[in-house]
Amino acid sequence: MSAQKPLELILARNLLASISTPAFLVGEQGTLLFYNEAAAVLVGRRFEETGTMEMEAWTSEFGPFDDRDRPIPYDQIPLTVAVRDGRPAHGTFRIAAHGEHRDVAASAIPIVGPGGATGAIVVFWPMSEEDQATPMTKARARVGEGLARVEDGIARVKEGHARGKRPASVSPGNDPGGEQ
Amino acid sequence: MKLKVWGARGSVPAPGPETMHYGGNTSCIEVTLSDGSTLILDAGTGIRGLGVALPRSDRPIHILLTHLHLDHIQGLMFFAPLFNNQCEVTIWGPASPEASLCDRIARYISAPLAPVEIRELPSLVSFREAEPLEWQLGAAQVRAQAVNHRGPTLGYRIEDGDQVLCYIPDHEPGLGVPLSQLDDDWISGFDLARGASMLIHDCQYTDKEYSRHLGWGHSPLSDALAFGHRVGAQRLLLFHHDPLHSDDFLDSFAGDVCARWEGLGGTPAQVELAAERRELVIEAQALTPPVG
Repeated sequence: MSAQKPLELILARNLLASISTPAFLVGEQGTLLFYNEAAAVLVGRRFEETGTMEMEAWTSEFGPFDDRDRPIPYDQIPLTVAVRDGRPAHGTFRIAAHGEHRDVAASAIPIVGPGGATGAIVVFWPMSEEDQATPMTKARARVGEGLARVEDGIARVKEGHARGKRPASVSPGNDPGGEQ
Repeated sequence: MKLKVWGARGSVPAPGPETMHYGGNTSCIEVTLSDGSTLILDAGTGIRGLGVALPRSDRPIHILLTHLHLDHIQGLMFFAPLFNNQCEVTIWGPASPEASLCDRIARYISAPLAPVEIRELPSLVSFREAEPLEWQLGAAQVRAQAVNHRGPTLGYRIEDGDQVLCYIPDHEPGLGVPLSQLDDDWISGFDLARGASMLIHDCQYTDKEYSRHLGWGHSPLSDALAFGHRVGAQRLLLFHHDPLHSDDFLDSFAGDVCARWEGLGGTPAQVELAAERRELVIEAQALTPPVG
């Protein structure tokens, strides 16, 4: 039989069980002590199925993962670092949900009782499509937009040559002899 | 171990002809340990009568406060030993990050609410913050643990030989989640009350009343019985009666209590509603009224 949980963790669990925002309750050693029904919808498994999960178990199943979908070690998750320093933190990362990886935003709040830190509440927030783009995907998008502009410019140049004159929109600043 | 109920009412004193049997005084229990020393659980208005009745003794008096709501400290100002310069009184209570136990109690024992200040009390009085200590008082090992109520609140477990008394007079263990959905280690106060020979527990509300008082820090009957059953208490003394509950109401309520306790597999002899001046002897396996 496991030891009685500190009151602040009991109350935190009761709070999470009563709200509709997805949330995890994580113990001081990284054990996933509880997650609510909204979080179960997010990750695709009910807490009643998984029960309490040790840190290695839940991070390998739910994440977080980096931009290349590699698991982030628990001790290197920025939120973990902040909470262990006694600070709240907010961040975005990828988690496994319903068999695929998706981006989420999360806020972590340390729980400190009379005897010191006992865990943290991690609340997950819905992300817009813009929010969901990771830095890598945003960079890819910017490269794609640049390539499209280049291709468009090449097409205009070809069109201008075909008509026997240069297009007005191509690099006027670098073309002092242009026909502006 | 013996106990005597000096106040079993919750929230506010409720004196009057309609509460003569269960009593109108607020929380106070006198515990006499096997070595003859006395512990006092809470200092509601019931402690005034106890102070008058206490025999003169050289032993220090220990008052264990669960929390500082007025119905648990109101009698302190009228506890005779505090005004006796031959008495040594230690007051135990919950810690708070906001102020010391002494300073928080001094808000009551000071102007304009009281005519004296703590420093003026003739007795040798001291204050000890109980959490998260386990310590020896007389023949008893005492343990305090935070429990679910409003504000810093403790429950107490008092072990004297193989007899265990657990006192959790203000407690809402089922807040937010039904007890039936929680494992033992996620239930507030569970460790404290586990296997108690005698559990004194909050039962302020009927189940119907509770829906209007959710989050006020008190238990409905169903949670009080479920908690007592889950922890395996040998005897259950239901406590902290609502000030609106008359003797007639509580007599009727007691019938419901016994029937529902039997429904959980217990016997009616294991459960009762606390009544003022009731004396009980706690034994390891059973609890019986004193002979005579």
